[in-house]
Amino acid sequence: MTVNSQVLNYIVSEESFPDKAVIIKEGSIGDWIYVILEGCVKIKKQTFRGMLTIDTLSEGDFVGEMAMLKQSNSIRTASAVADGQVLVGILDTVRLVQEWETQPPRIKKLISNLIQNLDESTKKAADMVVTPKQPWTS
Amino acid sequence: MTKNKKKIPPIVQLNFSKGDLIIKEGDYGMSIYDIISGKVGIFVESGGMEVKVATLGPGRTVGEMAFLTGNTRPRLASARALEDCCLEVWHPDMLLNTYKQMPGILRLIAGQALKLIVRMNKMVVELSLAEGQSNSSQTQELSNQLEHKRKFFRKKVSIECVFRPVSSSKDLKLLGRIRDIGREGLQMDVKTSGLLHYTLAPGDELFISTYLMPDQKVHMTAKIVWLEKEETKDTICLGMAFILIDSGDRQRLGFFLMP
Repeated sequence: MTVNSQVLNYIVSEESFPDKAVIIKEGSIGDWIYVILEGCVKIKKQTFRGMLTIDTLSEGDFVGEMAMLKQSNSIRTASAVADGQVLVGILDTVRLVQEWETQPPRIKKLISNLIQNLDESTKKAADMVVTPKQPWTS
Repeated sequence: MTKNKKKIPPIVQLNFSKGDLIIKEGDYGMSIYDIISGKVGIFVESGGMEVKVATLGPGRTVGEMAFLTGNTRPRLASARALEDCCLEVWHPDMLLNTYKQMPGILRLIAGQALKLIVRMNKMVVELSLAEGQSNSSQTQELSNQLEHKRKFFRKKVSIECVFRPVSSSKDLKLLGRIRDIGREGLQMDVKTSGLLHYTLAPGDELFISTYLMPDQKVHMTAKIVWLEKEETKDTICLGMAFILIDSGDRQRLGFFLMP
């Protein structure tokens, strides 16, 4: 997947990360939204068994888009870690949020719901991976 | 028949009872539901089991995934009322223009969220089934206690149609107006002055064709169940039960009847 030209327009700065570098840390505060320009990024969640990789994103994918939603209070819900050398574009968040906020309420509600669903199902998947099997079910 | 300019159906509120299926995975449906009250569970089917992937309450929406795929794919998951609930139904045409005018980047972000949700749900389903959970809150067998078919709603309409008695010549075209239509039958008005020399009586079978949506002609064979004539008016009202609709037309009818 290549990066869409409409997205390139929003990039205000680029940043590169070496393998295993933390781009976003779960629980921290921040509202930058990134787009992956080169390489792969692992999405990880903290569990009592350590960091668990939930998904791997690649070129053209967004990272940190939850920050767009007011409900997120800018608290990062997952970590993003470089999987090999990574180049990301930092998006003009002010412009993006402004454009988002001016959308009609129904369409905003619909897309917020979708992003919230993603957050919830990510949480659910992480919980299920680490829940130890009960001895009587195995 | 002249094509009407497409009107956007109004927003309606529907009540569902606990256990009712609101959306069925694999169906083609395009409505978006805004939860006003009650809880709705989202389920994904796999190997004869329904796995719950989410529980949504008031303020959340259901059915937006089909909208974001441009209604080109069947429903990706089922939605079932977990308690009595009230939902507001939005027709996708209501949102289509705003969606198209949205900055491309916002559409791309929504598209990515959709792609990742499908991945996450798949993971949740695989994990639930791998654990062989007897945990009934997570998975439930598709038993007969649950309704499998979504409810269809009888619709009040005003649609012109062409009909002729089954036994008449194929070229005959009589005019009627459908007033009400459901999965099992319809009600239509016929002007007596337009009946020529034909008479209608309960038990008669009619071929009916109409356009439920522009460019989509639907043919049905139906039997007159009852017939009412108002003394003062020139109109006969017919209550009819469908006896034959081919599968493609039945699908179009089903689609039309969805809230």
